[in-house]
Amino acid sequence: METTLATQTKTIAIIGNPNVGKSSIFNQLTGLNQKIGNYPGVTVDKTVGFIRIGEKEFNLIDLPGTYSLYPKSEDEVIAHRVLNGLGQEKPDFALVILDACNLERSLLLGTQVMDLGIPMAFVVNMKDLAHKKGIHIKTFELYKSLGVPLVLTDARNNEGMDSIRQVMSEEKFESPKPLLVSADFANPELLNQVKQRFGFENSYQAFQLLVFGEFDKTLSIADKDWLNEKSNVFDFDSKKQQVRETEARYVKISEILKKAVSRDKVKSSNVTISLDNVFLSPVFGFVIFLGIMLLIFQAIFAWASFPMDLIDVGFAGLSGWIYENLPAGVLTDLLAEGIVPGIGGVVIFIPQIAMLFGFLAILEDTGYLSRVVFLMDRLMRPFGLHGKSVVPLISGMACAIPGIMAARNISNSKERLITILVTPWMSCSARLPVYIILIGLTVPDTLWMGVSLQAVGLLAMYLLGVLFTLLGALALKFILKTKEKSYLLTELPIYRLPRWKTVLLTMFNKSKIFVLEAGKVILSISIVLWVLASYGPSGKMEALENEKTAILENTPEAGWPTVEEIYASKKLETSFIGIMGKAIEPAIRPLGYDWKIGIALLTSFAAREVFVGTIATIYSIGGDVENELTIREKLVKEVHSDTGEKVFDKATGFSLMVFYAFAMQCMSTLAVVYRETKSWKWPILQTVVMTGIAYLAAFITYQIFS
Amino acid sequence: MTAANLTLQQSAFIDSIGDTDISINFLELGILPGKEIKLLKKAPFGGPMAFLIEENIIALRQQEAILINLKS
Repeated sequence: METTLATQTKTIAIIGNPNVGKSSIFNQLTGLNQKIGNYPGVTVDKTVGFIRIGEKEFNLIDLPGTYSLYPKSEDEVIAHRVLNGLGQEKPDFALVILDACNLERSLLLGTQVMDLGIPMAFVVNMKDLAHKKGIHIKTFELYKSLGVPLVLTDARNNEGMDSIRQVMSEEKFESPKPLLVSADFANPELLNQVKQRFGFENSYQAFQLLVFGEFDKTLSIADKDWLNEKSNVFDFDSKKQQVRETEARYVKISEILKKAVSRDKVKSSNVTISLDNVFLSPVFGFVIFLGIMLLIFQAIFAWASFPMDLIDVGFAGLSGWIYENLPAGVLTDLLAEGIVPGIGGVVIFIPQIAMLFGFLAILEDTGYLSRVVFLMDRLMRPFGLHGKSVVPLISGMACAIPGIMAARNISNSKERLITILVTPWMSCSARLPVYIILIGLTVPDTLWMGVSLQAVGLLAMYLLGVLFTLLGALALKFILKTKEKSYLLTELPIYRLPRWKTVLLTMFNKSKIFVLEAGKVILSISIVLWVLASYGPSGKMEALENEKTAILENTPEAGWPTVEEIYASKKLETSFIGIMGKAIEPAIRPLGYDWKIGIALLTSFAAREVFVGTIATIYSIGGDVENELTIREKLVKEVHSDTGEKVFDKATGFSLMVFYAFAMQCMSTLAVVYRETKSWKWPILQTVVMTGIAYLAAFITYQIFS
Repeated sequence: MTAANLTLQQSAFIDSIGDTDISINFLELGILPGKEIKLLKKAPFGGPMAFLIEENIIALRQQEAILINLKS
C-alpha cells in the first residue's frame, strides 16, 4: 500500500565568521541547487540552497559572514532579522560554523546565536588544520558545556559532510540554555516591554532589537521612535552595553575552552607569514600585484580569443545555413539577420566574463584579495577612498553592478558613496567587446617587445578608466562632506589553495547572470533594431525595391552584387533607424561619427555591449550573408559614401573608445546605484556628469587624431 | 606605549583598548586585553600595519593601532 506523506520543507539558516569555510559547506551540501534573490528593503543577496536527504527536504539560507551579531553593516542586520524571524518566516533551525583553529572568536558569534533560543547545531570546521597546529578539541566536553550538538568537519576535503546531513535528517538540533543573562545588560522591565511589543519569546531577542534599532532601515518609523524613547526612559546605552556583553561573553567562552581544548607546544611553521614576507613586501608586493593584473588582461585579451573565434565562426555559419535551408521570407530574414547574430553577440563574451570572474574568485579564495586592501589602502586614501574600495573597483572591471554592490563592505558612508559613484568608470566587461572590435580596427596586430600592440592598447584603455576613476574620486572628496571617521580593521586570512569547485561555481553563476540578464536586453534590442532597420515610412521601401528590380533587369549579371549593395545601403538610410541616426548626426559629427554609429550610440544607452549587436545588425542587413564575413572584417571595409575614406579610422575609433570609456550607458548600473543610495539624485548626477565628460573627451580625441 | 610604537617583529601584551566608537570592532576580531600582539608588516609610506594576534593576522591603520594600549 502506498501512502503519500506531505513532505514539509524545513528551513535552516547557516551562519559563521568570514573565511570559516561556510560557503564551502554550503556549496558541498547544495551543489547547483542554489537560488540568488534579495531581502526586502536591503541590498544583501539572499542565497538559498535546496537539499533533499532521503524523504526530507530542506531549504538552506546562506547568511552573510559576520564576526558578531552587532550592527555594523547590512550583513549583520540581515543575520539578525532572519534569525529572529523579522519580516520573514523564522528558520526552523540554525547551523553555526565554527573555526576549529579559532574557537574563541567564532564562539562569540556562536553563543550569541545560542542566546537567541533557536534550535541549533555547531559545525566545527577545519579540523585537519587544527590537528596540524596541535589543537585538540574534546567534543563531548564542549557539548556538555554548550548544550549544542556539534560535528567536526574539513569542508575543503569534503570530510564530515555526511555527519552534517545526518544531523539535518534526524533533526538533531537543540535549543541550548543561554550563556549570558540579558537582564545583566539592560533593564528587565525594558526587555519585557520590547518582548511584548514585538512578540519575542526570549530576552536576548529583545536586547538585539534594542541594539539594532537605529541601524535597521526596514524597521518602521513608529517602531524606531518607540525603541528610541524606551532606550532614553530606561537609560540604555547601546554601545556601552555591547562592549560589556562582549567582554562577559569572552570570559565565559575562555572558561569553557580551558576545559574543552588543549594545545600541544608545537611551533608550527607558519606558511602564511612566510608568504606575506613576499606578497606584502614594500616593493616586490606591488610588483606582484601589477604582474597579476597584467596576467589577467593578457588572459582576457589573448587566451579568450580562441573560443571566441570558434563562437564567431559558428554563429556566422548558422546564419548562412538558415538562408540556404529555410524558405526565403520575413521570418527567415528575422532569424538569420536579427536573432542569430543577436544571440551570437551575447554568447561570444562568455569566455572573457567567465575568465575574469574566475580570476577574481581565485584571488579571493586564496586570501590574496585582502592583501590587496593592505597594500592599496595608503594609495587610495588621498583620493577619498578606502583600501576596501579596491575590491569594488577591481570587480568593476568585470561589471560595475557587483562592484557597486561590493561597496557595502565599506562602513564609512562617504567613502562608500564615492566608491559607488566612480566605479562605473572602471572598464567593465561590457566595454570590452567595444574595445576589442575598435582596437582590432585601429591598432596594428604586431608585436612590440614580445607583447601584442593590441594588448597594450587594451591596457591603455583600462588605465584611462582607472585614472579617471581616481580623479573623479578626488573631486568628490572635496565636494562631499561627512563627520564620520574612516577606519581600517580587517583580517588577513591564511593563504590557501583555491577551491576549484567554488571558482567554477562563480564562473558558471556569473556567466549565467550575464546571459540571462544582459542577454535579454541585447536580444530584444537586436530584434527591435532589425525591425527598425528593415522597415521605413510606408511606400518608400517599396519604391526602392521596384527601382532596384528595374535596374537589375538592365544590368548584366556580373554587376548585380554591386547594385544589391548600393540598394541595401539606400534601404538602410530610408528605414526608421536611418532616420533616427540622421537626426542626431549633427550633434555627433564633431566627434567623428556618422549616422550609423549614431544608431549604435542610441541603442547603447540601454547597455554598452549592445554596440556590438547593433553594429552587427546594421552592417549585415542587406549585405551578402553567405559570405559569412565576421563583424570586424565587415567594418574594415566600411567607407564614407561621400569621401570614400574608411569610417573606422584612427580618429573615429579612438574617439569612440574614449566615449565608451566615460559615458554612463548602462541602465542596470543606474538602477543599482539607486538601490544602493536610496535616492535618484546620485544616478541622475552620474548620467549627466559622466556623459558630459564623455562628449567633451571624445571631441578632444577626435580633433587630436584627425 | 601603543601598538603603533612596536617595531617589526617586536611583540607585547595588550593592556586595554581605547574607549571609542569602534572598540567593539576590536573585540569581535579577538583583539582582547591580555593577548600577545606582534607587528609583522608595515605598508610603505605610513600605510596599514599587519599584526599577529594568536594565530590571526589583522590589518590596522596607524590611527587604529594607537588605540591598542600595551603593557610595559
